[in-house]
Amino acid sequence: MSESPVERIKKASDGLRGTLNESLLDEHTGAIREDDQTLIKFHGMYMQDDRDRREERAEKKLERLYSFMLRLRLPGGFLTAKQWIALHNITGEHTTGVIKITSRQTVQLHGILKSHLKPTISAFNKISLDSIAACGDVNRNVTVTAHSKVSPVYEEIFSYADKISAHLLPKTRAWYEVWLDEEKLAEINEEDPLYEDRYLPRKFKIAIAVPPYNDVDVFTNDVGLIAIIEKDKLTGFNVTAGGGLGTTHGNAETYPRLATLLGFINKDNVLKTVYEIATVQRDYGNRSDRKLSRLKYTIDRLGVDAFKTELEKRIGFKLQPPKHAELIHRNDEYGWHKNHEGKWYYTVFVESGRILDDENVHLKSAFLEIAKTGKASFRFTCNQNIIVADIAEEDKKPFENILNKYGIIAHTENASALRKQSMACVAFNTCPLALAEGQRYLPQLITKIETLLEKHQLKDEGIIIRMTGCPNGCARPFIAEIGFVGTAYGRYNMHLGANAAGTRLSKLYKENLNEEEILDELNSLLKLYAAKRTAKEAFGDFVVREKIV
Amino acid sequence: MLAEFKLKTFRSLVYSATKEELIWMNGFLSGLLQEEKTILSRVNGQSSALSGCTVVYGTETGNSKKVAVDFSNRLKKQGIQSKIKSLDQYRLADLSKESNLLVVMSTQGDGEPPAAAKKFYDYIHQNEIALNHLKYGVFALGDSAYPLFCKAGEDVDNRLSQLGAQRIIPVRKSDVDFEDDASAWIDELVNNAINSEENNVSANAVAVKVSENVKPAKPGKKIYEGIIAAKINLNDRCSNKETWHIEIAAEEAISYQPGDAIGIVAKNNQATVNKIFELLQLTGDEELLYKNETYKASKLFIEKIALQYLPARVVQLYAKMVEKEIPSIRMDLAELLRIYPADVKLDVQQLVHVLTPVIPRLYSVSSSPAAHGENEIHLTVARDTFSVDGHLRYGLCSDYLSVLKEGMPIQFYIQKNSAFKLPAAHNDIIMIGPGTGIAPFRSFLSERDAQSATGRNWLFFGEQHFVSDFLYQTEIQSFFETGTLTKLNTAFSRDQDEKVYVQHRMQQHAEELFEWIENGANIFISGTKDPMSVDVEQILIKIIAGQKNTDEQSAAAYLSALKESGRYHKDVY
Ligand code: SRM
Ligand SMILES: Cc1cc2nc3c(=O)[nH]c(=O)nc-3n(C[C@H](O)[C@H](O)[C@H](O)COP(=O)(O)OP(=O)(O)OC[C@H]3O[C@@H](n4cnc5c(N)ncnc54)[C@H](O)[C@@H]3O)c2cc1C
Ligand SMILES: Cc1cc2nc3c(=O)[nH]c(=O)nc-3n(C[C@H](O)[C@H](O)[C@H](O)COP(=O)(O)O)c2cc1C
Ligand code: SF4
Repeated sequence: MSESPVERIKKASDGLRGTLNESLLDEHTGAIREDDQTLIKFHGMYMQDDRDRREERAEKKLERLYSFMLRLRLPGGFLTAKQWIALHNITGEHTTGVIKITSRQTVQLHGILKSHLKPTISAFNKISLDSIAACGDVNRNVTVTAHSKVSPVYEEIFSYADKISAHLLPKTRAWYEVWLDEEKLAEINEEDPLYEDRYLPRKFKIAIAVPPYNDVDVFTNDVGLIAIIEKDKLTGFNVTAGGGLGTTHGNAETYPRLATLLGFINKDNVLKTVYEIATVQRDYGNRSDRKLSRLKYTIDRLGVDAFKTELEKRIGFKLQPPKHAELIHRNDEYGWHKNHEGKWYYTVFVESGRILDDENVHLKSAFLEIAKTGKASFRFTCNQNIIVADIAEEDKKPFENILNKYGIIAHTENASALRKQSMACVAFNTCPLALAEGQRYLPQLITKIETLLEKHQLKDEGIIIRMTGCPNGCARPFIAEIGFVGTAYGRYNMHLGANAAGTRLSKLYKENLNEEEILDELNSLLKLYAAKRTAKEAFGDFVVREKIV
Repeated sequence: MLAEFKLKTFRSLVYSATKEELIWMNGFLSGLLQEEKTILSRVNGQSSALSGCTVVYGTETGNSKKVAVDFSNRLKKQGIQSKIKSLDQYRLADLSKESNLLVVMSTQGDGEPPAAAKKFYDYIHQNEIALNHLKYGVFALGDSAYPLFCKAGEDVDNRLSQLGAQRIIPVRKSDVDFEDDASAWIDELVNNAINSEENNVSANAVAVKVSENVKPAKPGKKIYEGIIAAKINLNDRCSNKETWHIEIAAEEAISYQPGDAIGIVAKNNQATVNKIFELLQLTGDEELLYKNETYKASKLFIEKIALQYLPARVVQLYAKMVEKEIPSIRMDLAELLRIYPADVKLDVQQLVHVLTPVIPRLYSVSSSPAAHGENEIHLTVARDTFSVDGHLRYGLCSDYLSVLKEGMPIQFYIQKNSAFKLPAAHNDIIMIGPGTGIAPFRSFLSERDAQSATGRNWLFFGEQHFVSDFLYQTEIQSFFETGTLTKLNTAFSRDQDEKVYVQHRMQQHAEELFEWIENGANIFISGTKDPMSVDVEQILIKIIAGQKNTDEQSAAAYLSALKESGRYHKDVY
């Protein structure tokens, strides 16, 4: 089978430069040229258009309202106070104004006009932030458990996110040349032994989990690293490979897959190992059908053993048997927590990860005021929430006042356990692949489900509900206790039965439901659950035990 | 064999003639030999009556020039030497030396001469020049829809005779469809000239001939009845602008060309009329006489007379009527009646007499017959907004058009603009049209596209914001993608800190722009007169000076040379 068009575009791109410079100069359109639309992803951006406005603009003889979404490369999802202030200002100046926390621990800014791209990026560059390889067929943002209170070795584990990200960065200087007008330096060697000129067949994701937390959903990543801590020392990691959730409606060859546990490696071997997993995928991955090109399919095609053998051949040593590590839960621990050094953390509930000021909650103002004190830092979680971090004992009170002043604490405490564990993807109006609503709709649906819970005396149950506007699975619905996957506008497939730890996938329960049907189904399921659950039994476990799925 | 003076004239005639003229004369003479001798005497009759005639014209949109050129050709055909000059090029000192002068001039503004004729107009009015030896005639172009119909031409006619010049033909006040009028007038002129030398015997013969030549000029202008077929606000939400693309469909074929404008007489809005009726205590059913026709007051005030921003002239007439001191400024009728009410009950009929008709507004046609068919015509109307002591107000006609609904009827006429026409299909054109200036260029591009013209096309467009104000963006894009539009540069003034306008883009492309010009490209500017067209022209001169590295005078000369040779066109307002 012949290579997919994307392969041609990558090879012909002269190190991801393509005709981006020309595209930026085109005065007749807010769009960029077709091949560049693929290449710009490798630079951390997506060309989008406001899908709500298409018909109206066409009528006015105006082209689609094109703009760009920028995704920061933020290994581990950490920002200093100074960086936050800059992010706040950039967002106000060049974007829709919403800071969107993603399910991979970084932020996306939407609605950046072509003419604003360079200013935006150079502004980020000034605070040493970039968007290189935040998207595209390369290693993506490396995520790591956000709950830094867990152990003294957290900082060390955390540092691996950065090391891995740096180690797997493409070598091309294109990003600096195109967006920062850096001179093209002949002497710089762009030779890229990892990516060569073809990059990976597909996106490549790495997550680091620190037991007992699995907030990163480590098993849904191409490569997972589970930190092994022995006698308060980090000795190494259990390595998993071949996770991924993306599927395509009506394409039976696509499926969600949990990563396979391969074995244990010492911490000194981490970089080498993830690097070689990438090279195996580079050489064996499917380059003709992008729907079947993720590592999960490569591994199933080669067979786990063959894959492992090839990997060990490349790293030059055998993987040790996996060590004991117990992952227990994925939800964020909201509110105040203190870490081993006595530093305070406040985890804020941010519905759908959208940081903005609305009538009752002023998240943006609050975080700006906090950042301006210079006495805290910020961490994003893979549940699209934010942690105000590293607060000294004596600053806790003043910060508490700020958080109260802007309604943050009330907002976080009053939100139901159900709502606080839920997650939705972006979907409309920016996502071109959306079939149904995501973050614009789930909050309303949750409200209706809350009434059902009340009705069945399950008010305080925290059931993990996740919704996506299409089967790509950006909010990881296939590993939720209740997952909604958009099939058409206003209609969703309903998946049930994942567990709290995120070690079991859900199964398809019903197809193509509209809201009314969804609520009917849930009503009877919750009724059953209330009646028949064993003590403390989670909803996901219940539906499996009852063989409902 | 020829007598001395005849020989002289004959020589001067023959040697001054062009090849075409000689061929024509040849045919003419042989033709004459067939005719009876009375006519033969015509030849010398002419030459002596009008030997050497200067035709000057003052034009805004090129109509007067077109007429003047026809005149001069017509005279040449009759074997009469004639020079033709635009009044802004005319050396005023020469006036006293002229022996025969034909003035072709339109009226602009509120009865004013065209900008190009201002110098001449003022010169003859402000100086006492003795012109006793001058023979002259004035052909005035105008639009009978304006209160001061052909005023400028009339003024010139009167003034010249005041200065002692001899009127050899009455001034002709010609309406928007001036062609037939013009040819009738020049025929008459030529034949009178002959007459003046004729003995009574041949008079009749000539009279016969003349009456044959004169086609009776049909009065008024062609008014089309159309309906609003489509209406779109081209600006996106959150724009400061409101620009309407309006498609008008008509049963009968509309005869127009790209570059023409369409004239529309707006209806006054009901609210204003109600206010005035209140002040005048009218019900609307009253019968009133206006310009020798009786109308119901309601119809008259809605459709016929101007109520907004009356000329100071009219305000003063009202002042006289009500015997009050009123400052000589422009005012709305409603305001006038409110602030300066008559002490005794006002005679409405008398008031109506001093009021002027609603004058038409012109809108560049933005469609092309070749592309959109002959039963459809498009315009691009910016809703004109301004504020009067803090209140948001709309311009009369653009507001009228902005609120018209699809399916509603509308009347319009075609305003030819012979100074703004596409060159031959193989010629390159440079189009500078920010804002509604894009209108005629949408027409040009559609036309050239439909006719797959080979000439290259370069468009400069500008507005406030790329996202909300890129008028006709998708159409322009497809012209660009299909190659009809060779180059496109845009300037969106408010998308960055420093303001950027089309002239800045032109400057950025100075070298290539000049290359195009040197290669024979035609330059077109359309849109607002001030400041846009002024700034653009200055930049053009700068660019030319820069590229030729000469001073700005010679650059300006270069530009007016382009203008003279019909390669530099403006349609600005
Ligand atoms: C922002 C985010 C969802 C959110 O609300 O947080 C997101 C948003 C998009 N994802 Fe995703 N994905 C996001 C996490 C995920 C995850 C979850 C994860 O990685 O933990 C998945 C499932 C795991 C996986 O990769 O299998 C995911 C699987 C996809 C896929 C399917 C990939 C596949 O193998 O089939 C696509 C479509 C594609 O790549 O062709 C996709 C494509 C997209 C795009 C870029 C649509 C596109 O390709 O044009 C979405 C942009 C929407 C917008 O307007 O912002 N996104 N996407 C998440 C950003 C993560 C980050 O910061 O990098
Ligand atoms: C050859 C030509 C081509 C043109 N092409 C186009 C075109 O393609 N598109 C287009 O949009 N326009 C075009 N125009 C301009 C158009 O003809 C009108 O001039 C324009 O629409 C404004 O007319 P209006 O009746 O709406 O405003 P008007 O009522 O004529 O008012 C015009 C101005 O007069 C002043 N004014 C009016 N009333 C008052 C008052 N009560 N108090 C104080 N000030 C007042 C205001 O400054 C106002 O802006 C063209 C003009 C010409 C000559
Ligand atoms: C803004 C404007 C004002 C005009 N004012 C008058 C006027 O006051 N009286 C008149 O008779 N014609 C008036 N006209 C009509 C022109 O004289 C008429 O269109 C003529 O054909 C233009 O000839 P030109 O192209 O030689 O300038 C006006 C036209 C315009 C565009
Ligand atoms: S899941 Fe589908 S709809 Fe939602 S953001 Fe991802 S690609 Fe878009």
